Amino acid sequence: MKASWKNIAEPVVFFVALLVLWEILVEIIKVPAFILPPPRDLWVAFIKKLPILGNHALITFIEAFGGFVLSLVLGVGFAIAVVYSRHLQNTIYPLIVILYAMPKSAFAPLMVIWVGYGLFSKIAIAFLVAFFPIVVNTVVGLKEVEPELLELARINRGSDLDVFKKIRLPNSLPYMFAGIKVAIVLSVTGAIVAEFVAANQGLGYLVLQANYSLDTAFALVILLTLAVLSLGLFWLAEILQRKLAPWSAAVREVEGSF
Amino acid sequence: MPPLISVEEVSRVFTGGARAVTALERVSFEIQTGNFVSIVGPSGCGKSTLLKIISGLLPPSSGKISVGGKRVDQPLENVGMVFQAPVLLKWRSVLGNVLLPVEFGKLDVAGYLDKARALIQLVGLAGFEEMFPHELSGGMQQRASLCRALVTDPQLLLMDEPFGALDAMTRDELDIELLRIWEERKKTVLFVTHSIQEAVFLSDVVFVMSARPGRLLETIVINLPRPRTVEMMSAVKFGEYTLKIRSLLSTAGGGHAAAAGSTM
Repeated sequence: MKASWKNIAEPVVFFVALLVLWEILVEIIKVPAFILPPPRDLWVAFIKKLPILGNHALITFIEAFGGFVLSLVLGVGFAIAVVYSRHLQNTIYPLIVILYAMPKSAFAPLMVIWVGYGLFSKIAIAFLVAFFPIVVNTVVGLKEVEPELLELARINRGSDLDVFKKIRLPNSLPYMFAGIKVAIVLSVTGAIVAEFVAANQGLGYLVLQANYSLDTAFALVILLTLAVLSLGLFWLAEILQRKLAPWSAAVREVEGSF
Repeated sequence: MPPLISVEEVSRVFTGGARAVTALERVSFEIQTGNFVSIVGPSGCGKSTLLKIISGLLPPSSGKISVGGKRVDQPLENVGMVFQAPVLLKWRSVLGNVLLPVEFGKLDVAGYLDKARALIQLVGLAGFEEMFPHELSGGMQQRASLCRALVTDPQLLLMDEPFGALDAMTRDELDIELLRIWEERKKTVLFVTHSIQEAVFLSDVVFVMSARPGRLLETIVINLPRPRTVEMMSAVKFGEYTLKIRSLLSTAGGGHAAAAGSTM
């Protein structure tokens, strides 16, 4: 109990101290506000522009989450297909690996040509960056099954469908969630990069506007909003994992890697 | 009475790697119904390979196996398997794990519930039915895996170094439990181990195998009274059996191969 209270108090004290230090240092050194505004200015910008911030954050959320959901559905489906079909493994999988080696954000200008200027080009980029971690992790999870379990299934005349439903799929869940947690944060980055390239709405567009008008305080507020958005999505994945695959949490606690 | 298992001139060569490896060379033996039989030998002598061939999971390169008078050419039906690791499903309770073979075999799960609970009680896991594998010790996990092997009431139990990964005390404890269950349930057990003591303590018959290529060195009938007790391990006769097997293995160069080889 004592330790968990400390685990909350320590970061709170640290961040408050950091803010105070920031405020004081900016005041003493007299840094121009367009380079580094004091935290007080960030707060003012936040309150003043809250409605605009909210509208654009919603757009970015739709783009990122849309791309993520698409990558989850197609990624898991693709992973299952690759694991069960040697033909796909020999043909499509190498293609995916080549795509994986390309910087996905470099597709953003092309996406504007292919799917247009609107929401869909951003969803496409968010999808592209989120797709690979989900595929790669799910493939590993579906494959890394103890061979003895498969022998057990053969001896007891288990069907392929049963092996998938009762062994491979649940076995892959902790891996899948590891991929999901990477993918969901990457999808926000993907949406922002796509907005940088061509957009008239969204937080990526907004941060460029703030930069053009040297409104550094607002730019920083937008970055913090993005952090909150990403963390919120990450926590959502974490909560879902605890509900759907509690055994992975148990394993992780034992390993102490979280 | 005809033997339950008959192994005739079985060889197995693995050709996957850079050079062919002969895991088993012309192994022949018979196992009578209801017997507790152990295969003992150094690591890499093909014990596990032999077990897989008998179960029908792996075809022999040459030779013939029959179980119950029928030639084995596909995975055996109604056989229980216990592996070196418990390999329980992490996302299922003890009861759920024990019922897995029932579900695979498309049998009536509800009808097997009482049987599963009785088995769980028999191995001393009563009260742990709803616990998950990570909440159990290694010994308890292996007990659950024994229940899983027994739930469909197979006539034959194949055990591949099932207690090899456990500490010595837990291992002794489980050996005694296994004998108690065997005497109560009247199964034929084929038990692979690299512990000479364990083989002598458990078995009616011990097959001693040489290091790679695995050959049958000798068949030793253990004439010790049943039920076996821990005290018997200090009996003169027990010592004679273990000494005999040890000298068989050392003259066959088993010790050296055990250090160099790996488990097949």
